Amino acid sequence: MKPILLHGHERSITQIKYNREGDLIFTASKDNQPNVWYSLNGERLGTFQGHNGAIWCIDVNWDTTRVLTGSADNTCKLWDCETGKNLNTLDVKNAVRSCGFSYSGNLLMYTTDKTMGHPCEIHIFDVSDPSQMKTGEPCIRIPINGPKITSAIWGPLEQYIVTGMEDGEICQYDVKTGEKIHNVTEHSKQINDLQLSLDGTMCISASKDTTAKLFDTSTLDHLKTYKTERPVNSAALSPLQEHVVLGGGQEAMEVTTSSTRIGKFDARFFNLVFEEEFGRVKGHFGPINSLAFHPDGKSYSSGGEDGYVRVHYFDNEYFDFRFEF
Amino acid sequence: MAAEKGDREVRKQKRSESAVDNQSDMKYEDEPEFSDPEDYVDDVSDEDLLGDLLKTKPKDTDSIDNVIIVDNIPVVGSEKLTKLQVVVKKIYEKFGKIVNDFYPLGEDEKTKGYMFIEYSNPNSAAEAVKATNGYKLDKAHTFAVNLFSDYDKYEHVSDEWEPPQPKPYKDLGNLRYWLQDPDCYDHYSVIYEGGEKTAIYQNTVHLGAVRDPTVVEERARWTETYVRWSPQGTYLATLHQKGIALWGGPKFDQIMRFSHPGVQLIDFSPCERFLITFSPMPVKSEEPQSIVIFDIRTGQRKRGFNCEPHAQSTWPIFKWSHDGKFFARLSTDTLSVYETANFRLIDNKSLKIDGIRDFSWSPSDNYLAFWVPEQNDIPARVTIISMPARVELCIRNLFNVADCRMHWQKNGDFLGVKVDRYSKAKKMEDTGQQKYSGIYYNFELFRIREKQIPVDKVECKDNVLAFAWEPTGNKFAYIHGESPRISVSIQCLRPNGKVDCLKVFERRTANHLFWSPTGQFIVLAGLRNMNGVLEFIDTTDMTVMAQTEHFMATDVEWDPTGRYVITGVSWWGHKVDNGYWLWSFQGRLLHKQQLDRFCQMLWRPRPPTLLPGEEIKEIKKNLKKYSQRFEAQDRLRQSTVSTEMLEKRRQLMMAYESYRQHAEGEFFATKQQRIDLRNGVDTDEMENLGDEEYDEEVVEFLLKVEEIILDEE
Repeated sequence: MKPILLHGHERSITQIKYNREGDLIFTASKDNQPNVWYSLNGERLGTFQGHNGAIWCIDVNWDTTRVLTGSADNTCKLWDCETGKNLNTLDVKNAVRSCGFSYSGNLLMYTTDKTMGHPCEIHIFDVSDPSQMKTGEPCIRIPINGPKITSAIWGPLEQYIVTGMEDGEICQYDVKTGEKIHNVTEHSKQINDLQLSLDGTMCISASKDTTAKLFDTSTLDHLKTYKTERPVNSAALSPLQEHVVLGGGQEAMEVTTSSTRIGKFDARFFNLVFEEEFGRVKGHFGPINSLAFHPDGKSYSSGGEDGYVRVHYFDNEYFDFRFEF
Repeated sequence: MAAEKGDREVRKQKRSESAVDNQSDMKYEDEPEFSDPEDYVDDVSDEDLLGDLLKTKPKDTDSIDNVIIVDNIPVVGSEKLTKLQVVVKKIYEKFGKIVNDFYPLGEDEKTKGYMFIEYSNPNSAAEAVKATNGYKLDKAHTFAVNLFSDYDKYEHVSDEWEPPQPKPYKDLGNLRYWLQDPDCYDHYSVIYEGGEKTAIYQNTVHLGAVRDPTVVEERARWTETYVRWSPQGTYLATLHQKGIALWGGPKFDQIMRFSHPGVQLIDFSPCERFLITFSPMPVKSEEPQSIVIFDIRTGQRKRGFNCEPHAQSTWPIFKWSHDGKFFARLSTDTLSVYETANFRLIDNKSLKIDGIRDFSWSPSDNYLAFWVPEQNDIPARVTIISMPARVELCIRNLFNVADCRMHWQKNGDFLGVKVDRYSKAKKMEDTGQQKYSGIYYNFELFRIREKQIPVDKVECKDNVLAFAWEPTGNKFAYIHGESPRISVSIQCLRPNGKVDCLKVFERRTANHLFWSPTGQFIVLAGLRNMNGVLEFIDTTDMTVMAQTEHFMATDVEWDPTGRYVITGVSWWGHKVDNGYWLWSFQGRLLHKQQLDRFCQMLWRPRPPTLLPGEEIKEIKKNLKKYSQRFEAQDRLRQSTVSTEMLEKRRQLMMAYESYRQHAEGEFFATKQQRIDLRNGVDTDEMENLGDEEYDEEVVEFLLKVEEIILDEE
């Protein structure tokens, strides 16, 4: 399995996403310029220029017309995907930590950091309402008391938002009332990533406590745990098979003191049901920060602290492999 | 008496005052009457009046505590009495000033075989009793010394002997139950979570079938620092601030407790009868408390020792002989050997050996080896003596010695002494210490079992980093050289007085040697700064069975049967990736166990086998027959393990499938909502169709038209 290396970022990758069709990869990095690539050959399609700070999060709507980016320059920007034109800039008091389009693409949300005396909040906008987008005044504002949100995603039917907290808690907030519907404390440390399964019924969390866990999205029932020895920065569910991929490694702060071998920067594949590891993919020379499966499940991409995005197309052996049971 | 009188007068005055109160109209003209009436009886005792003074009043019995009785002194006539007096005086003078001594004489003018000594204070008397009771004057006379004040007590000892109440026997069960396991699984202890948790695991792993270890017992905060197994595996010792606890039996019940505040280090006698404990806490009592020896079965404190801070302080300070009958310790120019029969020095005196630097017991006989460095013109020497007879069995003189290290082979057949030698020595002027240069090495190999203990000499030019005997054979291995050119040599002692070099493994990453307890196999390990490189070698034909690594390993432990090796990364040595890995003796990785802040792993030792030598030979002869049986068992186990695993997976899959059915049901129920949200586009369907939707199409078009006119010739 020879990966395609996407070398266009100058600093560490923070988040990568495929669009719904899987022909494009959207990558965000600390170097202020989100990129779009063809997933098939790794050719760069373009960049979104305008941010003045590290980009923490990126998302694309279902019909690949709009792109949303959240940055440490205290803005969240909406872009036209085709032209790369900046449509709206939403000014925020703090760095934007995570953002996302709802299922319909009509709503967007982002979460803010808790710094400089401003609380952590979830803001929700109606994209179709130009007044909201102009004034930057959200239609719904959910203040978060306690530890800040480190990762957030929309629920499958845009009724609620699932958030992962700095202390390892996972919560559900009702979009209409702003109330906390459910919460679970299965992780002992910060949630680094949350991703939905293809049908949205399950979600997987990646935590600094060296594990990834699978939950039922609507009830937040804990289903499975995948254990490693290093902080997990990202975890993704295969849309094709009962597979999970985990990425992480020694924390970026400690990396300089350790060799790549001790850092364990491999992407690790687990069986979703048996929680057993069955494969590893080496390559990054820093921790993996973000992982994404292609919507057809036949390839996946990883973005690392080393600034590279690696697109892997699976060999036939991968599809032939079966667990006995 | 003056005070008494004054007091009486005061009383009288009081009395008269009350009289005045009664007759208030009386005038104060008369002098008050002070004398007692005729019939007045003083009802105040001296005790009330001057109790505090009376306490210091000398009593007849006061000096009685200063007197001791010395029994079993020789019976001598008057002509030898002075000589006896001189001898006795010499012994007892050192405990304090002797005020008086008295030798009762019989009618025949001979001493009666006992005498009295009075000291100036009771402390001296007590000291004298403690030190000289049991003192051997000569063969026929052993002093029995008592305080005179105790005499009374001993006189009234009842004539009837009352047997002491036997302690009710507590059945501890079979403390060696774990040896009866039909599958010969071994136990090991593991401390993890930074010392919070201690667990005993059963190594339920077979070479053919790998299974997770089974937890036998797990307790939180079982120990405050670390644990130790007794040498034969019967007890598990846990260390606490207040002392030591021993655990054993199938449920790991507490068997005994020993109080020793601040205990840090412990050591068992080889036969598991005694426990030596060390605490660095300063002691207030006069009893020596730093090092204490306990009897394990009774829990009794047998003897305490002081620990001289300046003495060389490598634990164990006391070294045990193999049978636990003797234990010895080294101090400046002396070697003190004690007997466990009475916890005294053998023959009441230490061995005086000028300049003795180190000593070591043979693991199989009561032989002691020690070495003495060069002094003036006397060469350095290594001496082997037998105990308790103190017969010198062998002396080896050595020249230009900087240091010696003694290594006994486990069976006690050989003693290897690594000698560091120098070509030049210079005395440092400021410190007075010797500074050596041009160091080279050699091994002096003593064949203990052969007549007159012949010694072979093996030279080694390189720096020697480690040395180890094959525990049950005649081979030894050592690591030599300077990094990065480090070699491991394996040599063999032949019966005819030759030493053969069997193999030199060159350019190896190793700093530790671990022989299998049953010999033949050796693990070369590069621990800690060598990143945990491991090499498994079979020394019968010197094949390297496996070259592997456990990154940053800090420990290597062979199981007591020599079937498995565990390598660990201890949190005490390295802060990440703590855990232990289990290997077969051939270096095949069987199991990885990552444990949060794993600290220490120790195999439970096994007692020596009870099978006589012939039977072991018999088994070895018919090994094929047995191995067939065990291989069949292994195959069976392997299939059960895989069926168990498959069964587990099947269960998981069933549970998951039922969950998915439910989830998918809900998913389809909301299909219409999804279609509505995306303006009537059913994205569920498009995804399921996948590739078939798209057909590959080849589009050809002209990029450029070029006309080249060819020469028409």
